[in-house]
Amino acid sequence: MKTFNQILNFRLIALLFVAVFAASCSNDDDAAPEEENEVEVITSVSLIFTNNADATDVVTATAVDPDGEGIQELQVNDEITLTADATYTLTMAILNALDPADVEDIGEEILEEDDEHQFFFSFTTDVFADPAGNGNFDDAADAINYNDTDDNGNPVGLSTSWTTNAAASTGGSFRVRLQHQPDIKTADTGVNDGDTDFDLTFVLNVQ
Amino acid sequence: MPVQGQQQSCSCCTEGKVLDKATNAPVAFATVNVPNTNVYTQTKEDGSFVLTDYCPDRVSISINVLGYKEANFTTTRQDGEIPTYYLEETVASLDEVTVKVEAAKEKGTETIAQSRLSKDDILSNSTQSLAVSLSKLEGVTFASTGTNVQLPIIHGLSGNRILVLNNDIKHAFQNWGSDHAPEIDMNAANGITVIKGAAGVRFGPEALSGAILVEPNPLALYNPFYGRVGAGYQTNGRGYNANAEIGAGGEHFSYFANGSYARIGDRKAPDYNLSNTGKEETAFSLGARYNIDAWDFKVYYSYIDQNLGLLRSSVTRSPDLFINSINADEPIIINPFTYDVKEPNQTTEHQLAKVGIDWRYSNGGKLHFHAGIQQNRRNEFDVRRPEEIPIIILDLVTYEYQLEWEHPDWKGFDGVIGVQYFNQNNDNNPGTLTTPFIPNYNTERVSVFVIETLEVGDDTFEAGVRFDRETNDVRGRETDQDIFRDNYTFTNFTASLGYLWNISDNSSLSTNVGSAFRTPNVAELFSFGQQGYRSTFGLLRFSDDNGTLSTSEVVLLEDSDVDLERGYKLTTEYRTNSENNSHLLTGYVNYIDNFVYERPIGVFGSIRGPQPAFIIDQAEALFIGLDYTWKHNFSERLSSTYGLSYLWSRNIGDDQPLIEQPPISTNLELQWEQGGFWIFDDSTWGLRPSYTFEQFQAPRTVTPESLVEGTVEIDTDSEIFDFIDAPEGYFLLDMQWSFQVKNLGGSITAQNVLNNSYRNYLNEFRYFADEPGINILFSLNYSF
Repeated sequence: MKTFNQILNFRLIALLFVAVFAASCSNDDDAAPEEENEVEVITSVSLIFTNNADATDVVTATAVDPDGEGIQELQVNDEITLTADATYTLTMAILNALDPADVEDIGEEILEEDDEHQFFFSFTTDVFADPAGNGNFDDAADAINYNDTDDNGNPVGLSTSWTTNAAASTGGSFRVRLQHQPDIKTADTGVNDGDTDFDLTFVLNVQ
Repeated sequence: MPVQGQQQSCSCCTEGKVLDKATNAPVAFATVNVPNTNVYTQTKEDGSFVLTDYCPDRVSISINVLGYKEANFTTTRQDGEIPTYYLEETVASLDEVTVKVEAAKEKGTETIAQSRLSKDDILSNSTQSLAVSLSKLEGVTFASTGTNVQLPIIHGLSGNRILVLNNDIKHAFQNWGSDHAPEIDMNAANGITVIKGAAGVRFGPEALSGAILVEPNPLALYNPFYGRVGAGYQTNGRGYNANAEIGAGGEHFSYFANGSYARIGDRKAPDYNLSNTGKEETAFSLGARYNIDAWDFKVYYSYIDQNLGLLRSSVTRSPDLFINSINADEPIIINPFTYDVKEPNQTTEHQLAKVGIDWRYSNGGKLHFHAGIQQNRRNEFDVRRPEEIPIIILDLVTYEYQLEWEHPDWKGFDGVIGVQYFNQNNDNNPGTLTTPFIPNYNTERVSVFVIETLEVGDDTFEAGVRFDRETNDVRGRETDQDIFRDNYTFTNFTASLGYLWNISDNSSLSTNVGSAFRTPNVAELFSFGQQGYRSTFGLLRFSDDNGTLSTSEVVLLEDSDVDLERGYKLTTEYRTNSENNSHLLTGYVNYIDNFVYERPIGVFGSIRGPQPAFIIDQAEALFIGLDYTWKHNFSERLSSTYGLSYLWSRNIGDDQPLIEQPPISTNLELQWEQGGFWIFDDSTWGLRPSYTFEQFQAPRTVTPESLVEGTVEIDTDSEIFDFIDAPEGYFLLDMQWSFQVKNLGGSITAQNVLNNSYRNYLNEFRYFADEPGINILFSLNYSF
């Protein structure tokens, strides 16, 4: 009886070995993770100032973060140099160019979700004749000439208007921040509400 | 000693320990005899006894001593475990005498310092995590990420240098970063042993600094049907929990089943709510054992499901907010109390199935085999768009097989020879809409180990060696979605040598030196990008060009400077007991070359603004420390236990401090065993003041503002720093009352009674919020 039990048990062990090894071997694969479509990644922002009186006077300033999440420093490639006493319309080209073969226009996404986004601006005090002051970072109610509104009638900022001062100036600053404010955007929400999608500072000259 | 052999001589003996059921005090000079034979002995002063050369599979003994009821016990020979027999005073009421089985030290760890947490310790606060429960023990503390995620630290080391063995099987989980804690159901644990030395030979190279053994229900035979139901409530977080266990053991067969559920809402610091710190946990486990002649079969299954909230204010998607958050006294986001857990949170499901077979083919000779299969599924949610889609979806499947031969005594040597096969498969599931933080990988490891013990008089010598051959196959994606691959194999050699000297019946000295070589794990090598508020770059994800970091290339391991982590740890423990005093002193030195750790490296410009960045780095590190416990009995009923832990650690290669190392801590526990009064059969009061010092060995502080403004410049050769100062020291007072009324037991525990506000240096969220304030826990357990 005892011997019989032992034989039986050896078989059990053998069976168990086979079963578990088979299970583990069948699981091996060498697949890489599937390709993911990165959302919300912005690697390049261009500010495009177009002179309302002269369509050939286009000033473009671009900032690029070529590696997205990587540690490479942000590159602010251009200074903004505007003509004195002129009115410009500012529009933006916002791109995800992580995969050069498949560049995505994030501006379209922002337009689709314009009730969740707002651009805020901060600049050297009185460098513009209109809007005057230093922008709406410190107080969301301060003057900025938004040309667009969302479905709720709140400003967005994909298009804005700027009139430079008659006096020339160099080495000023121009800062743009895009805030993502899902479910919280109102006429009063400011630069510190929600999450930041980008926050860039350029050198501003008027000549 | 008047012992007479009855059976043919065998390699060992029948051992046991006799304790007073009410006070747990050892019962000396009790007569232990086997009825109808002339085998007998007397217990020593510590209550222990040995029936030499008597080792049947089943033991029936009778214990007799003046002042106690005579008691008869029948137990099977418990595999490697020394049974404890509880006697009841003759004056006490008629209660059943209970038998508890206390675990003996695992082979290969007999000369290493260890501490144990009993079932009662665990049940008094069953919703605590593994790490927090263990932190009562000297030399053990925990690193946390908020209130729900805690990792044990032994002698300054955590993560992949502490092996957590659940039911003999390496708990296989996403063991990386400080925000992934082992998913262990504390209610199912019968006891937990912490091995505070290099136990790599016995358990594998990851036990470089220690091991935590979570013991399941022992499935004792000859155990009549038993059951236990428990419930609890805690004031902080308005948490409630329930648990139950049943089981029984017959002549050949035994089983158990248990389950638990817990839900806790937002915790509260003294001055504000800690929003999104709730959790929900469901767990159950089952086991069965069949014993026939020399064969013993055990089957286990366990399941745990967790949903853990992380402090909402810890996610600062805008970098300005990170700077604001760490400078603010209060978290940026404080919402009213809720049980709901929202983003950021983690949901995990962990399953373990295990089969174990023992064959005692001769006296002292045994073959042991076990196989374990584990599945760990983890989803992590972040505050982002779309927030309902997890940012991490990982499936980890692990197989482990181990065959051990405990050979019979050979020229005085007692030992175990084992082989192990380990296979792990980690897969990212698609659909996270972000590049995987951790790549896919397969790990395969084959190990062989030998441990021998030699007893010569009062001296015990222990030596062991182990070989591991580990192959990793890694596939990941870069942010441009290009695939990268790496494949590497290491052969690791681990050795240990120990010595135990029983100086007298009351004191012993043990010392153990062990080495362990560990392959850096996949997360330490390949982490890339943002998780929570920080960006982390693994060892192979950045290159260092004269102090300037670049993360544009994935470096192949063979082309990199990355080397194995090589640890050598010496642990020495001295124990002494006298009538009213017992002392336990543990000293250790741990030298680790190529020590892998995470540290801040600066703030880098991103399109969102400045972003705090961390890298995984290697250094030559030294850890020297001391744990001391002194127990003093003022009277039979009043006792005090004093504990102190001290650790000095440094990056000696660069002569710099290390980061996130445990500060000095000290505590005193006063216990008054009131005994029975009114309706209570038993009542015990406890008071535990403790003080944790400021970490004086913390790195210098460099604020993020100064990095953004450029007033401080950092490169990879710069001295290590932290973004804020180490928090001040803090005093905590805990109180406990526990009672027993017939089969009903219960306790009231108050933590942080003074409701002190403090921050814990070992909590990653020290940047953002205080620790929880006062918490009162009520628990009831009914046994039948």
